Amino acid sequence: MIRLLAVIERDLKKFRRNPVVIAMSVVMPIVYLIILGNSFQGKLRSLPVALVNHDTGPYARQVVDNLHAIEAGPATFTLLSLRDHQDAIAGIRKGVYKAAVIIPPDFSRKVVMKSGPEIGLFLDNTDSISSENIRNLVIAATGSMRTEYIAIREKYADAQVREIDLYAKVDYYQSLVPGVVIMAIFLGTLTSGAFNLVMDRFLGIDESYLLTPLSKSHIVGGLVISGLSITTVIAALIFTVSMLITGIPLSRGIGQCFAIFAIIVLTTLCLLSLMFVILGRVYHPRIVGILSGFLNVILFFPSGAVYPIASFPGWLRTFALVNPEAYAVDALKAVLFKNAGLSAISGDLFFLAVFTAVTMSVAIVSFRRTI
Amino acid sequence: MDSMKDTKAITVSGITKKYGATTAVDTVSFSVDEGEFFGFLGPNGAGKTTLIRMLTTLLKPTSGTAVVACCDVKKDPAAVRREIGVVPQAMTSDLDLTGYENMDIYGRFYGLGARERKERIAYLLEMVGLTSRAHDLVAAYSGGMRRRLEIARVLVHRPRILFLDEPTIGLDPQSRHVVWNFLDKLTEGDSMTVFLTTHYMEEAEVLCSRVAIIDNGKIIALGSPSELKAGIPGNDIISLTLGNISEQIMTKIQGLPFVHQVKTEDTSVRVYVDSGATNLPALLDEVKMSGGTVLSATIHEQSLEDVFIHYTGKSIREEEARKVSFFVGAGIPQKWGR
Ligand SMILES: Nc1ncnc2c1ncn2[C@@H]1O[C@H](COP(=O)(O)OP(=O)(O)OP(=O)(O)O)[C@@H](O)[C@H]1O
Ligand SMILES: [Mg+2]
Repeated sequence: MIRLLAVIERDLKKFRRNPVVIAMSVVMPIVYLIILGNSFQGKLRSLPVALVNHDTGPYARQVVDNLHAIEAGPATFTLLSLRDHQDAIAGIRKGVYKAAVIIPPDFSRKVVMKSGPEIGLFLDNTDSISSENIRNLVIAATGSMRTEYIAIREKYADAQVREIDLYAKVDYYQSLVPGVVIMAIFLGTLTSGAFNLVMDRFLGIDESYLLTPLSKSHIVGGLVISGLSITTVIAALIFTVSMLITGIPLSRGIGQCFAIFAIIVLTTLCLLSLMFVILGRVYHPRIVGILSGFLNVILFFPSGAVYPIASFPGWLRTFALVNPEAYAVDALKAVLFKNAGLSAISGDLFFLAVFTAVTMSVAIVSFRRTI
Repeated sequence: MDSMKDTKAITVSGITKKYGATTAVDTVSFSVDEGEFFGFLGPNGAGKTTLIRMLTTLLKPTSGTAVVACCDVKKDPAAVRREIGVVPQAMTSDLDLTGYENMDIYGRFYGLGARERKERIAYLLEMVGLTSRAHDLVAAYSGGMRRRLEIARVLVHRPRILFLDEPTIGLDPQSRHVVWNFLDKLTEGDSMTVFLTTHYMEEAEVLCSRVAIIDNGKIIALGSPSELKAGIPGNDIISLTLGNISEQIMTKIQGLPFVHQVKTEDTSVRVYVDSGATNLPALLDEVKMSGGTVLSATIHEQSLEDVFIHYTGKSIREEEARKVSFFVGAGIPQKWGR
């Protein structure tokens, strides 16, 4: 009994002497709750949907009113009225809209003529959760009109929603691939690079290189590059395996592969230098353990890998604007599911490069060469 | 310029390091000549490691300055690091690498070419007797082997000044002598300056041309081992253990013509005398005549140990015993403080 108590006490004492660990283990679960809660809201909200109405007739107005009622009520989407349906479709391709509802000029006439009225619905089907929701709501918006109409006249005048998926079909498993790759990169960067510095410090062997003429940039740069090579290999492997399992075709050949490689490398660099800033002064691996869960939650869930960013509350959307994982997910989705080339993801890559440059500089400046 | 003629390898003035209320190193000043073998001798917690860390740019002094090799450690630490080699108290070789790899990577930190590294490493491994184990992981080395590897490693880049923080701690007497011989040879050939800390009296006496004795962060004596010994009275010490002790016995002993000084602690008496062997019988007679009984008596030539006792009033070994718990974790307590 004495022995057991001694083991318990020793462990508790060590825990108590680590105030950072205690503070983090209290604060972090609360942060998880807030971030997770907001990035997985039960319902989707504020998905941007383009609305192009070419028809001035009464039935078109009725559909539009129904859509606005949904916007005002459950607020699943936010409508943006456009004149040109080409703009709307281009907007989806750029990721500005999740969908576009297009009402053709002869819609009301066809309702009256009972000659098969149609509404066009263009969907960004790479985001399967949002597109499924939008589809159901648009069908519902035409449906209420339909029942009313059927009550008065006969059949055949039902308005049909004609769905057009803008991209090749993406199933749920496939849609998870970008997230899996980002997760692999995250774990790789967490257990290489700055983590080795923390371990050296913990084991007391950092003195062996702090005492040499190595400069701060040698130390930080060297660890980042070794972390990059390890993580890139891991991420590329995981990417290949998940492509094989889910059967996503790489239809655009070498250019597409190059784009994916560029995304993996830049994301890795980004996270490695971010880790260096965060772990730069950490001296105990236990702190890394706690931070890993925390960082994963605050970077991964608001990245859009699982749930659409558009549904997040404002503050979390703002955070997504500076979250490198959000850019990485966006770029990977574009390359994998939208057949985008390097030019289409250049904005994402640019952000990742700038983020890397800034955090790397901070890491080098804040790194201390003294004990 | 003046510094051209300057033959000082290290010049320290008023260097101080405070940790909150404790002053680990307290306004220490000294200088070390080029090519000199200089020792800092002190018990556990005296401030030796703290001092070495300030001189080797790992710690910022609270106040005071130190010029090492060419430059001020505060103003141009990078230049200082290029000129020195340091073996820290805690072992810092990489357990996941082989002995050879540890040395090779270290050589590359200093920008040495492949050929030079190869030759130098082979030579040094031979010197410390690790050639046959060169390609084993350091994790499989014994403590003593790892210690020898660390000393060999620091010499790969031929530092101008070598700092060694308790280099033979944890070595058996035989390995200790191997290291001593090795260090002795170093200063002969390469005219390297060596700065060493130790709490082994013998080590300081065997190796160092000059020794500073440090206690509680302050230098309490500085000179060559023979100068330091000359600074204490007599040339031999007779230690007596008495059955009983009294004022009268003490005055009688003090009165003898060959006795310089007497120090007592409980029933132990240390008598500083000339020609101990010749005068011992007379001393014993005097004790008996004044009513004392002698339980044991030993004569020894004065050593740095006695110098330490003379200046601090305590022996280094007592210090060790008292601070043994700190010693066990040497190197680690500092880590936590960061
Ligand atoms: N990081 C620290 N925080 C607080 N006090 C410290 C720290 N490092 C050292 N000290 C204190 O400074 C004093 C000198 O320590 P130092 O390690 O320099 O002694 P030392 O002479 O090297 O001893 P040893 O022979 O045990 O290695 C000690 O009292 C020690 O407790
Ligand atoms: Mg020490």
